[in-house]
Amino acid sequence: MGFVKSDTQEVVGSTEHRREYSRDPEGMLQQLRDPDPARRRWAARDLGEFPEYVSHLVDALENEDDETVRQAIFDSLARIGGDEVAELLLPFLRSEDAQLRNGAVEVLTELPDATAPRMEKLLHDPDPDIRIFALDILRVLPHPKSPDWIAQILATDDHVNVIAVAVDRAADVGTPAMVELLEEVGQRFADEPYIQFAIRTALERIATGA
Amino acid sequence: MARILVVDDAATVRSYHRMVLEQAGHEVSEAENGLEALEKVLRDPVDLLLVDINMPKMDGYRFLREVRRDETIRAIPAVMISTEAEDSDKELAWHAGANTYLVKPAKPEVLQRLVALATGEVTA
Repeated sequence: MGFVKSDTQEVVGSTEHRREYSRDPEGMLQQLRDPDPARRRWAARDLGEFPEYVSHLVDALENEDDETVRQAIFDSLARIGGDEVAELLLPFLRSEDAQLRNGAVEVLTELPDATAPRMEKLLHDPDPDIRIFALDILRVLPHPKSPDWIAQILATDDHVNVIAVAVDRAADVGTPAMVELLEEVGQRFADEPYIQFAIRTALERIATGA
Repeated sequence: MARILVVDDAATVRSYHRMVLEQAGHEVSEAENGLEALEKVLRDPVDLLLVDINMPKMDGYRFLREVRRDETIRAIPAVMISTEAEDSDKELAWHAGANTYLVKPAKPEVLQRLVALATGEVTA
């Protein structure tokens, strides 16, 4: 019963929140600036129905410090999807704020059609952290070019942490054609115990098809 | 011997840390994000947390802030471990409640030594 009561109160509250603002997008944008996080959260959810207001949601994300409102904005952006969302979220991969970085990664992984054309650029970004995030996206982004992208990183990248994550991805999607490349990486990073461990793990998984 | 919860979204990293820490005689459990870790540590408190930063659902900073808010688990020491080596990252980790910070990938002897210090098995 407790759960039912709680849900009812939330719905009633949301209705009250909605009444104080007009229910058109302009009213929702005003509500997105309300001091009450609960009202901002409802506005963020409702604006998910209006793709033309994507940039307003992203702008709000930059200034929002409530984690639940941020999550509501990310959920709405994922629901809207498309190229504009992907493009506007890419700068968040460079954010100092871990929740913004991870939120952007999660939305981008839910938008394979919009994110895939941007992967090559991300995987060759001068910042190793961005290349790592790109590999994080590949973990859940289903794309036929993933093995090629991972092989490219293994063959050319010289940053130990990028290689560490790329070896992890090779374990996820690796094919027998990647074995020789992984052995070469093992020789290049012979002094890195973690890389050696990750390569052994990847080779075992490729051999067993796990 | 300490009971250590390794929190990282990468399965290979968790396995590596488990191997290194078990070689040093520790008992290791795993969680793949902050949310799962919080549930586990509230149910079964450990002696040390080894926490990654970037994870889905709940990142390492937020996880540590939640741990430090809860009286029953707030005293558990935490090592934050991440690929990010900037001073600003370490500062954020300390603000979130980390006792110390280690940059990945960690050499086995470095990780074992740091864990021994964090759990009070040895002193500096």
